[in-house]
Amino acid sequence: MRFMVFVKSPKPLAALHRDPLLRAGVLLDAGDLVPDAYGVSGYWLIDVRDHEEAVERVRRIPLPACVVEIRQVPVV
Amino acid sequence: MGATTSVHRTIDAVWRMESAKVIAALARYTRDVGLAEEMAQDALVAALEQWPEEGVPRNPGGWLMTTAKRRSIDQIRRRENFNRKVEEIGRDVQEATPDASEGIEDEIGDDLLSLMFTACHPVLGTEARVALTLKMLGGLKTEEIARAFLVSDATVAQRIVRAKKALADAGVPFEVPEGPELAPRLASVLEVIYLIFNEGYSATQGDDWLRPELCTEALRLGRVLAELAPKEAEVHGLVALMEIQASRTKARTGPGGEPVLLLEQDRSKWDWLLIGRGLKALERAEALNQPPGPYYVQAALAACHGRARKAEDTDWQRIATLYQVLAQISPSPIVELNRAVALSMAFGPAAGLALVDEIAGAKALQGYHLLPSVRGDFLAKLGRTEEAKAEFEKAAALTRNEREKTLLLERAAACG
Repeated sequence: MRFMVFVKSPKPLAALHRDPLLRAGVLLDAGDLVPDAYGVSGYWLIDVRDHEEAVERVRRIPLPACVVEIRQVPVV
Repeated sequence: MGATTSVHRTIDAVWRMESAKVIAALARYTRDVGLAEEMAQDALVAALEQWPEEGVPRNPGGWLMTTAKRRSIDQIRRRENFNRKVEEIGRDVQEATPDASEGIEDEIGDDLLSLMFTACHPVLGTEARVALTLKMLGGLKTEEIARAFLVSDATVAQRIVRAKKALADAGVPFEVPEGPELAPRLASVLEVIYLIFNEGYSATQGDDWLRPELCTEALRLGRVLAELAPKEAEVHGLVALMEIQASRTKARTGPGGEPVLLLEQDRSKWDWLLIGRGLKALERAEALNQPPGPYYVQAALAACHGRARKAEDTDWQRIATLYQVLAQISPSPIVELNRAVALSMAFGPAAGLALVDEIAGAKALQGYHLLPSVRGDFLAKLGRTEEAKAEFEKAAALTRNEREKTLLLERAAACG
C-alpha cells in the first residue's frame, strides 16, 4: 500500500529525516512543497504493508515539532 | 477487543520493521544465526503477551532488542562451553540502554548485510535460502511464507530448521565476504531476491494476496541492499530490473486474467513512477563504470521499452546490441532468438531470419515452439507464405499452451 506523508514544519526538512525510510527500502519519492501560512512542507511517498506500518515508520523519525498527515494512495 | 487487535497490528508492523535488525545484531554477538532468530522470536512472544496489557513501549525496537539479548544470555549460560561469550554479551547488555536499537547506523548496516549473506549462503539449497531470507530479513511469518509459496506451514518450518542447522554444521561465519569470495556470494544474494520477485510476478488473479506481495518484498530487499552495498553495479542493475518489471503489473494481464504481450500493453497503465525509479537505478549502475553484468543488461533491455511511451518508439537497434552483450556474458540460444526478433524489428525480417537460421541447430532450441513460431513470423513478413505456414503448424504442434496453439493455427490458416 502506498501512503503519502505530508510534513508541515516551521523549519525546512533535512534529508536526514527521510534517511530511515530510504534505508528501509520503502521510500518511493520525496520532495518539498511551496511554503504556506503553516510553514515549510515536504512530502514522502512510501510503500508499506498497511497503515500501522506507515504510522510506526513515521513515528520513529526524529522530527522537529510539526504536523504530520498520513494519507493512503488508492490503488487504481 | 478492538484495542487488542490494534495493538497486535502495531506489533506486526514493529516486527516487520525491527526483526531483521534484532536478529542481525544478536547474530553478531552470539555468532549463531539460529540462536539469534529463536531469541528474537521469543522476544516477539513476550511482546505479544505484555504489550496489549502494558501498552506499546516508546522504543519498541529497543525493547525487542533488550529482551532478545537477555534471553540469549540465559540460553548461552545453559550451555557451559560458551562462558567466554557470556562475558562479552553480559558486558554489552549492561552498557546498552533501552535505546539500544538507536546504535550506530553503520554497524547495523554491516550486521544486516552479514545477515543477508548468511541467509543466502551457497551451502543452502535455493528453497532454503528463499525461506530463510523472507523469514529473517523480510520479517515474514512461517505461515505467510507457506501461503505465498503454496506449500504447507510444516514444509516451510522444516526448511527453516534444516537451513539453520546446515549453517551451523558448515560453520558459516557471520560476516560480509571479502576479496574473491564476494562476487559469487553477492550473486547468490541477488539470485534469491530475484527468485522471490519472480515468484510474486508469476502470481495470477485469484491467487492469495500474499503472492504478489512477494514482488514488493523483493523490491524492498533490493532497495535496502542498494543502500548497504552502493558500490556494486549489479545490485543497482537488479533493482532497476525489478522496478521496471513491476511497473507493468497492471498492464500485463487482460480483464480475464490472460497475459498481454509487452508490445500490446496499454502503456498508460504502466506505473511511470516505478519506471523513473528504475531508470535512476540504472544510472547509478552506469556511474560505477563496472563491466556490465547480466542484471544490468536485462535492466537496460527493460529500460528500452520503459523509455518508449508508445510501442513504435522502441529503440530496437539498442535492444539488438544489448542482446549481443547479454549473449557474451551468458551465452544462450534463447538470447540469440530474442536478438533475432530485435534485429528484425530494427532492420527488417531478413536480418532476423539470417540469425535464426544460424542458431536453428542449437540443442537447447530443439522442441522449443518459439523457434518455428519466430521463423514463421519472419517468413510471413517476407511473403514466403508456404514456408511460413509449415513453421506455424510445427510450432502449434510443439506448444502445450492451448491458447497459444489456437493462435498459431490461426496464423497458419491465414497464410492460405
